[in-house]
Amino acid sequence: MLLVLISGLALGALYGMTAIVYNVTYSTAKVLSFGTGHFAMVGGIIGAFLILGLHWPIWAGLLGCLLVGALFGYATELLAVRRVLVSSDQHLWVLSTLALAIMVQEAMGLWWGTDPTPFPHLFAQQRGGLLDQKYWLPIIAAALMAGGLEIFYRHTLLGKIFVAVSEDDFAARARGLDTGRVRTLSFVMAGTLGALSGFAAGQLTFADFNLGTTLSLAGFIAAALGGIGSSLGAMVGGVVMGLLTAFTSHFFGAEYQKTIAIGLLALVLVSRPQGLFGRPLMRDV
Amino acid sequence: MVGPAGQRRPQTIAAAAIALTVLVPPLTGNLYYVHVATVIGVYWILIATLNLLVGYTGTLSIGHIGLLAIGAYTFAILAGTVGWNSYLALLAGGVLCASIGLLLGLPSLRLPGFYFAMVTTAFGLIVSELALAEGWLTNGSVGMAAPTFPAPFASPDGFYTLVTLIGALVTWLCWNLARSMWGGRMMAVRDSRIAALSLGIPPARTKLIVFVFSGFSAGIAGGLFATSQSYITPDAFTFNLGLYFFVSIIIGGRGSIIGPFIGAVLLALIPELVGSLQKYGTFFYGAILLAVVLLIPGGFGELAARIGSGPKAGTSDATGTGPDLGRLHEAITRL
Repeated sequence: MLLVLISGLALGALYGMTAIVYNVTYSTAKVLSFGTGHFAMVGGIIGAFLILGLHWPIWAGLLGCLLVGALFGYATELLAVRRVLVSSDQHLWVLSTLALAIMVQEAMGLWWGTDPTPFPHLFAQQRGGLLDQKYWLPIIAAALMAGGLEIFYRHTLLGKIFVAVSEDDFAARARGLDTGRVRTLSFVMAGTLGALSGFAAGQLTFADFNLGTTLSLAGFIAAALGGIGSSLGAMVGGVVMGLLTAFTSHFFGAEYQKTIAIGLLALVLVSRPQGLFGRPLMRDV
Repeated sequence: MVGPAGQRRPQTIAAAAIALTVLVPPLTGNLYYVHVATVIGVYWILIATLNLLVGYTGTLSIGHIGLLAIGAYTFAILAGTVGWNSYLALLAGGVLCASIGLLLGLPSLRLPGFYFAMVTTAFGLIVSELALAEGWLTNGSVGMAAPTFPAPFASPDGFYTLVTLIGALVTWLCWNLARSMWGGRMMAVRDSRIAALSLGIPPARTKLIVFVFSGFSAGIAGGLFATSQSYITPDAFTFNLGLYFFVSIIIGGRGSIIGPFIGAVLLALIPELVGSLQKYGTFFYGAILLAVVLLIPGGFGELAARIGSGPKAGTSDATGTGPDLGRLHEAITRL
């Protein structure tokens, strides 16, 4: 039972990190990218490829994986977001990010293969069980990510610029901030953080090209549950989702994971559309 | 594509051309061509009404594949295992999918686009998950055989006729809906929710009605799909197939019926014609979707309309500062 709990927490940490990545792009661009979970998928596969395939040392593998994630984030902004935001149609970004996510997923499937492959151990370990690093790595990474972002937003100039742009894009531009560059930077950051989450949780999820869609969905549910825009909400939403997933698979079998998750989403959206920690949605009049 | 008098002629030509194309597969006598045409026809029954939802009301439903699967399984279970009349089972699948559409749409259609897209994505995934899990009902991954229709529609050619007839009926319904007040209502909801509200059009209810209608026809399409495949497994209802429905509408152009039709036919045919593309099929859908969204957000339908309407309309759109007296005059005389 303790094992179910810890695996639920680990899964929840991964979902929470994905939800945080959603927040990072949503705050500056007001875009929820369909490819948010794909950042982690790419991170996991590239990490496994560099370390197991090319026999790079772990630190180099992590660095390479983050670099690819940053590139993917940059490409997302460049291809799927920048041009679309200029147009008046507000829903086009749903389509463009979906298209890019599909292309990346299929390309990864063709290149890497469609079978999930194991991810290397990052530290030597004697035995599994409760202390298995595959559970603790994502939890630690999530805590570091949430804490680091909080420090970044509150105590660095760049972070404050991010906050300014997310609060009022127009006013930030009037103060001479290059909002376009901030948006690009936020996507690069999202890609990097997403890849990091995939790397940290690689031993839990395996390097699987199919992970992206599931994770986009689970991370979105976590973000919607916690309230989009709130880091605390993202972590809480992620942990709730993760525990729910772990316990439903334990008691009812893995087949019902998504059914339960979507039930949760429907429940939240009906009863509290702004999420647990979110600000109420404004009417767009 | 709402047809004032001036546009009716090309539409008649298009309808005649489609009617002629529909006749071709049986005439070749090649069973495989008939099969491909039948499957495209089945897809079109779903896409035609999904188009009302995606193209006209701007609601991004990616999970219609789930409704197709439910329709297919309902048909296979009721007509096959339980032994109902095929038509009754087909209708039951439609009604079931319409009710599921109602239940799904009621909470989620009030939400912003991305939320709804996510909810429908999840729905599509859930259905294939449950089809695999609930072995007592669906036979799990083994799948189940789907019955055929009685006498006049039992042969491949006959079944193709049935699909064509239903397809024509659905197209006719959609076309009527699109050019009546409803079409305007749906587009008002798509283009400006606020403006629609101020005119007394309830956006959520409008979308819900369209969603229920599209659910019904997706259920019907599912039953026909089961028969056309003669054997269904959960693998038949991949997320990629759902993507195909969606992409063919987007590339065909929103607010048009002929555009998505051409999109559906082309997207289904290209992987059939170019065998090597089959492996890259989904990648290809993604690439087309991205290219269309970035380059021609109105889809190929709009591009064709722009080319078809000649340079005059094109230039007046481009400059758009002075009054275009020629077009004004044309519009008045048309009234």
